[in-house]
Amino acid sequence: MLLTVPVFNVQLFLVIQNSRSAFERVLDTPQASAAMVGVLTAIAFALRFYKINQPDQVVFDEVHFGKFASFYITREYYFDVHPPFAKLLFGLTGWFVGFDGHFTFENIGDSYTDNHVPYVGMRALPAILGSLTVPVVYAIMKETGYSTIIAAFSACIILFDNAHIAQSRLILLDATLVLFMSLTIYSYVRFRKLRYWEFTVEWWSWLIATGFFMACTWGAKVNGILTVATIGIAVLVDLWDILDHKKGFTMEHFWKHFMARAVGLIVVPFIIYLSFFYVHFAVLTRSGTGDSFMSPAFQETLIGNELLMNSQELRYFDVVTMKHKDTKVYLHSHPDHYPLQYDDGRISSQGQQVTGYGHDDINNHWQIIPTKALPEAGRGRVVRHEDVIQLLHISTQTLLLTHDVASPLMPTNQEFTTWPKDDHSRHNDTLFYLNIIDADSEDPWKSKSSYFRLVHGPTRVSMWTHSKQLPEWAFKQQEINGNKNPTEKSATWFVDQVISTESPEGLSGEQVPKEPKKISFFRKFAELQLLMLQHNAGLTSSHPYASGPINWPFLISGISFWTENDAQKQIYLIGNIVGWWTCVIALSIYVGIMGADLLARRRGIEPIPEAARGRLWNSAGFFLLIWAIHYLPFFLMSRQLFIHHYLPSHLASALLAGSVLSFILSDTVNYPISIVGRWTKLRKSEYADLGMKGPVVVGVFTFILFLMFVYMAPLTYGTPGLDGETVNAKRLLSSWTLHFAAKETAEVS
Amino acid sequence: MAANVRVRRPATPPPGLPHVAPSSHKYPPIRQDHLSADERREAASKGYGPGRRSHSPGGLNITSGEWKLLAVVLLIALGVRMFRISKPDSVVFDEVHFGKFAARYIKTRYFVDVHPPLAKLLITAAAFISGFNGEFDFKEIGKVFENAPYVAMRMVPATFGVATIPIAYLTLRALDCRATTALLASIFLTFENGLVTQSRHILLDSPLVFFTALTVFFFVGFSNEDKKEPFTNEWWTWLALTGLSLGAVVSCKWVGLFTIATVGVCTMLQLWLLLGDLRVSPRMWARHFFARAVCLILIPIVFYMTMFQLHFLILGSSGEGDAFMSSEFRQTLGRGMEDTYADVALGSDIAIRHLNTQGGYLHSHSHNYPGGSGQQQVTLYPHRDDNNLWRVLNATVNNYEQYDYEHKPIVYIDHGSHIKLRHLVTDRGLHSHEVRPPVSDVDFQNEVSAYGMPGFIGDINDDWVVEIEKGDSSDKESSKRLRTLRTHFKLRHLNTGCYLFSHKVKLPEWGFDQQEVTCNKNAVKENSLWYVETATKHPQLSADAPKVNYKIPGFFSKFWELQQVMWTTNAGLTDRHMYDSRPLTWPRLRRGINFWVKDHRQIYLIGNPFVWWSSTASVITYMIVRGFLLLRAKRGYRDFDNTKVVKYDSLCGFLFVGYCMHYFPFFLMGRQLFLHHYFPALYFAILLNCAVFDLATSTLRPKIRLQIAAVLMVIAVITYSKFSSLAYGNPWTKQKCSNAQWVKTWDFACNEFFDDYSQYSGVTVPTLNRSTPMATIGGEPGGRAAIVVEDKLGQDGVVPPEDEQSTTVPIGVPEPGRDVFAKDEQKEIKSQMRVLQDVPVNNVDEKEISAVTFEPTSAAPDEGKEEVKVPAGGMSATGESEGQAHPKVIGIPEKEIEVELGEDHRKSHGPLDHEEAIADQVAHELYPEARLDHIRTSIST
Repeated sequence: MLLTVPVFNVQLFLVIQNSRSAFERVLDTPQASAAMVGVLTAIAFALRFYKINQPDQVVFDEVHFGKFASFYITREYYFDVHPPFAKLLFGLTGWFVGFDGHFTFENIGDSYTDNHVPYVGMRALPAILGSLTVPVVYAIMKETGYSTIIAAFSACIILFDNAHIAQSRLILLDATLVLFMSLTIYSYVRFRKLRYWEFTVEWWSWLIATGFFMACTWGAKVNGILTVATIGIAVLVDLWDILDHKKGFTMEHFWKHFMARAVGLIVVPFIIYLSFFYVHFAVLTRSGTGDSFMSPAFQETLIGNELLMNSQELRYFDVVTMKHKDTKVYLHSHPDHYPLQYDDGRISSQGQQVTGYGHDDINNHWQIIPTKALPEAGRGRVVRHEDVIQLLHISTQTLLLTHDVASPLMPTNQEFTTWPKDDHSRHNDTLFYLNIIDADSEDPWKSKSSYFRLVHGPTRVSMWTHSKQLPEWAFKQQEINGNKNPTEKSATWFVDQVISTESPEGLSGEQVPKEPKKISFFRKFAELQLLMLQHNAGLTSSHPYASGPINWPFLISGISFWTENDAQKQIYLIGNIVGWWTCVIALSIYVGIMGADLLARRRGIEPIPEAARGRLWNSAGFFLLIWAIHYLPFFLMSRQLFIHHYLPSHLASALLAGSVLSFILSDTVNYPISIVGRWTKLRKSEYADLGMKGPVVVGVFTFILFLMFVYMAPLTYGTPGLDGETVNAKRLLSSWTLHFAAKETAEVS
Repeated sequence: MAANVRVRRPATPPPGLPHVAPSSHKYPPIRQDHLSADERREAASKGYGPGRRSHSPGGLNITSGEWKLLAVVLLIALGVRMFRISKPDSVVFDEVHFGKFAARYIKTRYFVDVHPPLAKLLITAAAFISGFNGEFDFKEIGKVFENAPYVAMRMVPATFGVATIPIAYLTLRALDCRATTALLASIFLTFENGLVTQSRHILLDSPLVFFTALTVFFFVGFSNEDKKEPFTNEWWTWLALTGLSLGAVVSCKWVGLFTIATVGVCTMLQLWLLLGDLRVSPRMWARHFFARAVCLILIPIVFYMTMFQLHFLILGSSGEGDAFMSSEFRQTLGRGMEDTYADVALGSDIAIRHLNTQGGYLHSHSHNYPGGSGQQQVTLYPHRDDNNLWRVLNATVNNYEQYDYEHKPIVYIDHGSHIKLRHLVTDRGLHSHEVRPPVSDVDFQNEVSAYGMPGFIGDINDDWVVEIEKGDSSDKESSKRLRTLRTHFKLRHLNTGCYLFSHKVKLPEWGFDQQEVTCNKNAVKENSLWYVETATKHPQLSADAPKVNYKIPGFFSKFWELQQVMWTTNAGLTDRHMYDSRPLTWPRLRRGINFWVKDHRQIYLIGNPFVWWSSTASVITYMIVRGFLLLRAKRGYRDFDNTKVVKYDSLCGFLFVGYCMHYFPFFLMGRQLFLHHYFPALYFAILLNCAVFDLATSTLRPKIRLQIAAVLMVIAVITYSKFSSLAYGNPWTKQKCSNAQWVKTWDFACNEFFDDYSQYSGVTVPTLNRSTPMATIGGEPGGRAAIVVEDKLGQDGVVPPEDEQSTTVPIGVPEPGRDVFAKDEQKEIKSQMRVLQDVPVNNVDEKEISAVTFEPTSAAPDEGKEEVKVPAGGMSATGESEGQAHPKVIGIPEKEIEVELGEDHRKSHGPLDHEEAIADQVAHELYPEARLDHIRTSIST
């Protein structure tokens, strides 16, 4: 459907002006256009599949996405910040080409051939998707009303771009993202062109296609949400126009439009987005690496999960070990006492130390002591949510206690210590509320699956620990202290093991069926979405090749994907500097033209013909919007950012570059471009007349672009190996950190 | 905003015909055929009826009755703001900083702060006039004032707070609101608890709000003039005043930039409208443009820079802020170094400084690396010290005898010279080898150490190649050979090819927190550049050989450097504070700030909930109504034909833009934020609130309007009085306090107060601050009852005296905002000076040291940070005891040497053992003040 050359709807218009040169008339015939797009697509496939088996090693983020594909095949649950669509495609491809899922993509540089991974098949998927992006770009330009030569210009910027090629030859998500993003734009353009044929079948099809591709974009990578935002803004502008009373529409008409878009662009995409997750959950039924991210209820739905296997209800007088959820240390105590005074001069209680200890030990055993009368046997002995309990340290026979004394490392938190169990003078301070997270009253306390907070009765602090170690006097164990915030998220503990129990019938809990439990899809979905959001924001650790958004359009720095020391081969993700800088120049020219136009019109001068101006504002303006929405939000993000986050914006800037070039070459445009409806006024139509300079300029530019691409190709394909001098020569900007550079200029921070 | 909407009216019927207004028309058109179209538009935008052509010129032409009213309002405000301003007589919240800064100004000792100087200068002026000598240190919240004219200092913000109120009145009048409305606004502002609390203490926000208000007033006045006739004298006056006032806002706090943005947006809108008016010639438009550019850009910049010039003029001597500034800058602070010899040759003794970091000098001392090779440490050390001296030796000669530089011709150091650097004090050479450094343990880093011994010159790993990177343009020689201060060079290790390197990584305790020095094979250029700071006189040089010094920076480079330091620090203020808050919580007044707790009284910054919430509500109302009008306009309703809609749209729109500009940018800031950052936005919100009132009551009779306003004022005053105890630090009861806790998150310490007012009469002596900090734990309303902890620390019979030990957890204790600069300053750790062991010391002083050890004396507690100035005699003794090779330590001014005292008599650094701990405790009881300093130091290091 998409590869078919868009048909040029000219026959409906009164053709008045037609002064084009014969060459251009030929170029703009459907046949020539089809030939052009065919050639471009063929080259795109050739460039992306060239030596796709090179290197036969794990490259950069293939570590993650390859691994996720193998998890789909082994059906083990994993957790990732990106939605599953693109990864599902990889899983599907992997399954199709016969990947058994047993290679784990552990490190960059692991060999595929040694491990018999059909990696070429898996890499073929992004390569195909990446190649298809080129004709889509061409089609967008063509549909927006530019001539063949301009459309080819925009397509070539993507076609010969080293970054797009490098990114789409590997098992990475961006090729999928970029293709579906461009398809979204294409469908929206088609939809918009049908605006005089509202509520027809074609109109509905393109509307729903927009929604569908939008959902795929969002489902491929979390950045796809920016595409959704772009379409959202464009639709709002569109609706705002329909609302205008000068157009003479009734409110009913407006609401009809509104509802249609709500269905096509909200309901449909959402259902599709949900369906990705549905498949995701349906495929991943076994316990795997992602378990620990999820809530206990979720974990119990996975086959073979530890919680499912070992969870049991706890009863009073059971002896248990407790682990901190985040740092995985046991609650521990030993006969040593806190020192009288700390280094900073604060005084301690000199009580028995309570610490966090990483290893299994008899000193981790605590007994649950009731604070109320218990029946001899039966369900009454089960510990429940909101019960007040004491914890008895078995080996020293002391009770856990906290009080209003500053802890060793943090003067703002309370010290935890223990107190002899026979001394009742401080009974109150040994009382703790058991707060099971997400529990209702009367819910029983279960080992493994109940995450809980232990909140101190009198002072309302919750037992907490952090990864800081205590000094030598506590054997470098972890500090346990009382956090002032009784609902602190990181103060979460769980019972790891039940050592012994005095209620034999309590063990009956062990006979729970091992069948995985079921929870509704929507609960799973909501939980996963929330986690994805949290973890996405949490990706703030530094990466040597992370770069700030301001660097991206100028190609200040790239990413080293892969190196091989022996042959001095490397893959370095960097764009085609000619193409990227052209786009930046085009952007600035566009902003300049529009600014000048605004000022001139304010003074009553209209320098640009109406048709050309409309094209600049509407189509090029739309491209600018896409560029801005896919780029500017990154400035607000504090997470790790990489240059490949700019690829969608780069595509938009390539579209804009085409519009600007067209405007520079000629004042004329193909007009009108929207499909005329029954009640549309007939307008004077015209053709874009670029003259001979168009093909010449584009030809020369493409040639330079191609030369630059070939020059940088060894860094894109990772082959052949380069000696130091050549590497230096290819380092066009001093900020590129290439490997194997000759000695003199090596500067690595 | 809506001023570009042309007012459309139905065509006036031809003269002679009776003019009948269509009865269906909601807003009967007014007869105004006597006005030209432009006059009509103007009149409409002001909401005037026909025939009234007057423009209110900036709201100053109000009747004498109103002036009298204003005087009464002013008196009330004065009473509210100044009431018992001398209470509390101890330091409150950030007075800790701003009071301290005033003391610094008076002592002219250089300091650095994140805020520009104007407000601080005004406070200082008040303090100076009242005879403050700078002796009070504003150390901590709750410290009782002694010898500090704190009332005079507090009067400055209080005066600004009072002055804000008439400004608000006049602004609303200038915006063509009714007198009742303006009165309502001034009463709302007067009885806003937050603004009152903030303006009664030595804080910067009150001047900031005042200048923001003043700017708005001037700008409104200017806009009114502009509508009437541009380029008159009044027009220029208002414009220039706006510019000056803008300069003042931004010189108080950088938040003032938001005010600049507000005025900027409105000015751009004015210019845009002017551009669309085709009767205005381009020339005229350019005149408009440049007039505004000069007055609203140039004047503020000049004003701002003048403030900094004053700042530099006053702070002429060195102080705790030195450490943040470059060496060139410090040269202007009177503690610069003396001129030093320009030429460096074989045999010179030099001190080498790292260019890119403020880490200091290449340094070594007689302590060894705990890991790696175990050889002597080489570090960067920020202070001048004998251990920074290295002698340049010739590496091409192998024996210890060396090149006889004292007699043979002088040999300068060129690009490519092979040298050895000999550490003078320990007589070891600068050495590197294929051993990973202990901290930056990576492949491309090599350890740098000092190696060798007296009599052994070292091996080939001591050889370094000088690579001159660039010289100074003023000294042509400096790019060819090594010249002191002017040449930047790299040192390449001959054997391994790595470069001598340092970066902002501190060594752990064993390296005394000094900066790491390594030899880096992949060094970034900036961090491998060095320069020679001092060179002693070479024996071959004549006494009048050329000398150099740092170039004294001009005002602009000093100004720019300080701006950069302020900016980076401001952005780095990200650590949490107990009472910080995020912008989203401000409009709903989620939580206040605990300013001060003492003697069962509390000062807690909280707004007047009625004023606060109603102003937030009016902002939201405006947004909804404006959005609704926008939609209606799109559907062809002609609301904007109504003069009333036009008038209130432009009025509220202006205030709303001001609100947004002062509020939303905070969302982009990652730094620590507080409730009081909302105050400028609150000012706009309150004005908007009153504008909404003006609109809502516009159809009522004046008497009824006044009655409604009176009711609102009374409600505001009652709410104010309900919380006023927290603003003034007055006695309060537990009962009243918990009744006032309307919102659960307002965490003023109710348990702090007595049960009954009568108990306050008994309190005469101030009790210690640390008595009961456990204010809000347990016993919240609606929660569980508080469980009382019966005994504190009863075990072992070691009951520490209640008021001596601070084992308690400080919950709800007021805490001043962080002063990053003060904190960092304490990180300066003195170097070890082995050679000075035997020096008889007669001037004992406290030093900041890297470990907590007991200091047996507490002499000169106030001047702890001063460097010791050893008498000349003591110093020459140092030189002699050190070695014979250099009978004189030349070139270093003797007074500059910092001596580490007391250090040598102590045990080595490390955790306290038990005996020491006991001794320490005894000492603490004897000298509580001295101890305190130590604890501070150790916490910060």
